[in-house]
Amino acid sequence: MASIEIEKLEKSYGHVSVLHGIDLDIRDGEFVVLVGPSGCGKSTLLRMIAGLEDVSRGEIRIAGNRVNDLHPKDRDIAMVFQSYALYPHMNVAGNMSYSLRLRKATKEKIGAAVAGAAAKLGLEPLLERRPKALSGGQRQRVAMGRAIVRQPKAFLFDEPLSNLDARLREQMRAEIKKMHADLKATSIYVTHDQIEAMTLADRIVAMHGGVVQQVGSPLELYDRPANLFVAGFIGSPGMNFLDVTYRGGALRLKDGSRVADSPPVAVQEGSDLTLGIRPEHLTITTDSGGISAEVELVEPTGFGIIVHLTLHGMPVKVFTLDRQALATGGEIKVSFPVQHIHLFNNEGSRIG
Amino acid sequence: MMIAAGTTKGLPVRKPWLTRLADASEPYLYSAPSLILIVAVMLVPLVIGISYAFRDIQLLNPFSGGFIGIEHFRALSQDAAFYGALKNTLWWTGASVLLQFFFGLILALLLDKPFWGRGLVQALVFLPWAVPSFLAGLNWAWLFNPVIGPIPHWLFGLGVMSQPGNILSDPQYAMWGPIVANVWWGIPFFAITLLAALQAIPRDLYEAASIDGANWFQRFCSITLPFLAPTIAITVLLRTVWISNFADLIVVMTGGGPADRTQIVASYIFTQAFKALDFGYASAIALVLLVLLLAYSMFIILLRQTLLNKD
Repeated sequence: MASIEIEKLEKSYGHVSVLHGIDLDIRDGEFVVLVGPSGCGKSTLLRMIAGLEDVSRGEIRIAGNRVNDLHPKDRDIAMVFQSYALYPHMNVAGNMSYSLRLRKATKEKIGAAVAGAAAKLGLEPLLERRPKALSGGQRQRVAMGRAIVRQPKAFLFDEPLSNLDARLREQMRAEIKKMHADLKATSIYVTHDQIEAMTLADRIVAMHGGVVQQVGSPLELYDRPANLFVAGFIGSPGMNFLDVTYRGGALRLKDGSRVADSPPVAVQEGSDLTLGIRPEHLTITTDSGGISAEVELVEPTGFGIIVHLTLHGMPVKVFTLDRQALATGGEIKVSFPVQHIHLFNNEGSRIG
Repeated sequence: MMIAAGTTKGLPVRKPWLTRLADASEPYLYSAPSLILIVAVMLVPLVIGISYAFRDIQLLNPFSGGFIGIEHFRALSQDAAFYGALKNTLWWTGASVLLQFFFGLILALLLDKPFWGRGLVQALVFLPWAVPSFLAGLNWAWLFNPVIGPIPHWLFGLGVMSQPGNILSDPQYAMWGPIVANVWWGIPFFAITLLAALQAIPRDLYEAASIDGANWFQRFCSITLPFLAPTIAITVLLRTVWISNFADLIVVMTGGGPADRTQIVASYIFTQAFKALDFGYASAIALVLLVLLLAYSMFIILLRQTLLNKD
């Protein structure tokens, strides 16, 4: 186990810059999830930590030692790939023991490590099988088994669950979390799935355009997103955004209609702001304080109901657990509870 | 197309026999043209060729042509030149295939790595394959000729040869001339097929192995070789059959000489048929070669089957 420090890390391919000065401290035993849309540089960052990509500028330290110029094999890390990358010509036991065999570990030690990992992952009956005779979930387990037999300083996961179906993904997610609670190994996990990020992470690193947008615990990112990108990326269905103007202690739409009282913020009268509110925080109401909106579409999810509205020409979604919403249509009223309103300035940064 | 047989008073009515004949022969009539063509261009010459082996056919002897049974094979069993040719064939095939494969593999591994100008180099590397074997043979014969070619002088300069002589007329080393030409000519085949197989190997396997701690050689042994094995098996099998049959370079460069030192079975057949004009005897040798190659192919196929079944 070890801590990992990343300092002013940059990556460019020729003139194309992919990562712009990443700073990140990962504590010993921490589970950090890098999350962001495709092309945000999260996989590149992970591959640089693994040593599969060169560092253009900056520094990576594992357990305090600079590893910029070390080969992947000398960094003592293990990686789980999206495609699993199992060796097709070796059986499950061979796949899991490969790294130990390369390190010339004794037969007894290899046998014990493989047996231990197989027991942990429920792979004992499959040890003699080749990867092609395994299902997707079993392959995923073997890939994880291959990582844990070595007891490396850190685990790197590169979208390991993306190739599984939804049910299996849910199950493996829980297993990874259990495994981490068990091994307490420093882990870095890359995903574009914000549910995986929320459920697994001790800390989430939200990335966009090669820049870290926010680092924090899952609920910090959910409750207090630092900017419009994080606000829009975390949460499903995604946060509603409305262009509003601050006037007389209230937030008003462009046509002057009042949306809600403003939370206490220090902004000038007449400033243009972006109001953000999560669909689950909007309430359908009958009282006169609500603002009227047109129902466009009703989507039942089983757990709750998503109602798509048009509010003064702008699309807004409401998520509600109230089954009455299924019967809604035409004109309804919604209200914006002030304690749930997020405000962002012109640059997209959070102001309240 | 088929019309269900009608019934009269509950009894099935048989179709007229001509209709039944037409129905039955229909599929054969459709495939007849191609079948006839295949029989005419493949089976007929094959049968005639095999029949030559059992007949006395000499082009210059108008009274030849009679059936002589296995007389040719009896003569063949006592023909020292044939045994020499058989030995030379093994040597020629073995050395050519091995060197072609070895250099082809190295070339494929080099071309698999991205570098500046790779496209151009790839095109150039595959060029020898496009040269007609006849021209390649002439070219190499000239290169080995001390009067007009540079190679003997280079070898002399390096101290490999005591004097710049023609390797093709040296009984000891003459076989190396056609072998070198054959290796030059055949490398691209291995390079192309092995490169295609190399590029089909998923890259993340190498990444996973390097994280697992494998160095270059260990990655080659545990990933590249197992992936290439089926391609290697099939290309080596094919090339072995082709090369043992491949007399062009030898006929052009040495004509089997000096003193039959470069005579392989295929060139011996050519010599018997078109120099001695004894078609019967040449056919008998060809038949023996055919049987040997069939036996070899069967052996390889059986080997492959057992290896595949082992998994």
